[in-house]
Amino acid sequence: MNDVLEARAIGMTFRNGDDFTEVLKNVDVTLQPGELAALLGASGSGKSTFLSIAGLLLRPTTGAITIAGQRVDQLSDAERAEFRNTRLGFIFQFHHLLPDFTATENVAFPAAAPAGGITPAMRKRARELLARVGLSDRLDFLVTRLSGGQKQRVAIARALMNKPELILADEPTGSLDRVAAEQVLDLMREVNREDKATFLICTHDEQVAARCTRRITLKDGRVEGAWEEHPVVT
Amino acid sequence: MFALTVARRYLFSNPAQTALLIAGVALGVTAFVFITALIEGLAIRLTDDVTANSAHISLEPETRVARVLPSPDAELASVAIVSTFQRRQIRSWEPAVALLRSQPSVAAISPQISGSAFLVKGEAVAPVAVTAIDPAYLDAISPISTEITSGNSSLGADGILIGVRLAENLGLSSGQPVLFRTDRGIDRLLTVRGVFRTGLQTLDEKVAYLSLQTARPLFLLPEGLTNIEVKLEDPGRARDVAAFLHEATGLRATPWQEKNASLEGALTAQARTGTLIQMFSLISVLVGIASALSLSANRRRGEIGIMRAFGVSSTFIAAVFVLQGLLIGMVGAGIGCVSGFALCSWLATLTNAEGIMLLPVAPSEGGYVAVFLLTTLGAVLASVIPARSAARLDPLEAIQQ
Repeated sequence: MNDVLEARAIGMTFRNGDDFTEVLKNVDVTLQPGELAALLGASGSGKSTFLSIAGLLLRPTTGAITIAGQRVDQLSDAERAEFRNTRLGFIFQFHHLLPDFTATENVAFPAAAPAGGITPAMRKRARELLARVGLSDRLDFLVTRLSGGQKQRVAIARALMNKPELILADEPTGSLDRVAAEQVLDLMREVNREDKATFLICTHDEQVAARCTRRITLKDGRVEGAWEEHPVVT
Repeated sequence: MFALTVARRYLFSNPAQTALLIAGVALGVTAFVFITALIEGLAIRLTDDVTANSAHISLEPETRVARVLPSPDAELASVAIVSTFQRRQIRSWEPAVALLRSQPSVAAISPQISGSAFLVKGEAVAPVAVTAIDPAYLDAISPISTEITSGNSSLGADGILIGVRLAENLGLSSGQPVLFRTDRGIDRLLTVRGVFRTGLQTLDEKVAYLSLQTARPLFLLPEGLTNIEVKLEDPGRARDVAAFLHEATGLRATPWQEKNASLEGALTAQARTGTLIQMFSLISVLVGIASALSLSANRRRGEIGIMRAFGVSSTFIAAVFVLQGLLIGMVGAGIGCVSGFALCSWLATLTNAEGIMLLPVAPSEGGYVAVFLLTTLGAVLASVIPARSAARLDPLEAIQQ
């Protein structure tokens, strides 16, 4: 079976005038289908940069990225956008929902924008996803009327809309209280378990990492230690 | 089109701001409409004032020019002398009149004999410009019969109509005889049938009307005419129609604009001033749209960033902002056209005690189609800058902010 994510010798150097900052150094990361992996590291360790590279939001200085069998680091901007739309899902620390749209419209948006509108099939799937994340009673609510935890659940449903092969989450519980954070983590685990969806969750929270099936730790831009199976805390 | 849905939703998300923006556009368009209607109204009034008592086109024989005829040996040359005794005349004028009558653009014609003469009353002598016309077409060019202040407008075989100032200068009134003396020294006693007042000094002091029948022996023109005066349905077409008539008849055709070059210059300057004001009002509208959409794009950086992150194309993002510009432009221009028309229509009803409009606006000449299209197109162009900036937004940078 193909790896969902295969990052080989990823290096990333930022330039600011005459200053060069090497954020990632020869990073190798591989994710198998269905994994729920935590990407850990202290602030400045390069984990968010790696997540952005894996999410095709940033081009690495060196190295190669293959997602679901397709080499993606050399795609054009338009091809990367299309790839992100059809093959990747994103969950951010701040939900970044569209405040002028309902929960259903927000979830359907990634499919509707390239298609030119929300088709009945899209609306049906969006509503199913919202029901699945426990928001069947908030389908037509403007997202501004939802709580923080509910918004993040909408963001998870949106990430699942186009049935992505890899879901990238950047501190998905970082802006939530403990109860809401637990609910969101449970939801991601449920999706991972039932849909075999592959997650790479960037976090600095050990409790979040403890709920994942694998953990990758970055330190000073390098992968620290070997890959390790991690006992799941339930 | 989903981009249109998003654009509409963005506009409705802040109704007060959108309403203000549309009101700004509408105000600019109203100003544009008002200026256009005023400039056009002024031009119409001035043109009407100038052409009310004169022809739009004058047809005359071509000017005879003395020509130098070179001889074969180049030492000698002869000059063709132009007779100054024989009046310039249109000998076969009937075909020209028939042609004019067949033209739908021609409103009225007046075949005339024009010349110079003197009116003698006792010791008093006054020069007059004589217009001899067919009495049936007395009012074709200037509504003289409606401006008779004493007597009547029936010229008859020996009648003459004179202006009120000329009558005062010579101490004449209707019914009195006056000696008419042509520039060739031919005298005839005529009767003042009527005195008119046009309000134009040149007419009231210098012009006298005779019938063609009376004038022919006095001006030694038993058959011909000196000129044919033409009124058009649309004075603005005088140049084009004059060119056609010159081509068709071989006669010199002079449009009214050539006889009033200074007025035309003033109208042109007035139109240019209007264009400048229109341009500035449009530019202010477009700058308003561009700045409002730029602010909107900036305020929505996070949303745009997330859209870009989940793969929405930059074309889609740009379309959302261009469509907002289009909607603002169309709605604002539409409201502005309606309010501009309403304003001009109201202003057109305001008159002074003499019934003259306080502002000579022409509500139908507001340039509505032009301003609607220009504003809509301009609004789209004004939205291109914020649209491009939004479309180029780096998703990562936007999300991190």
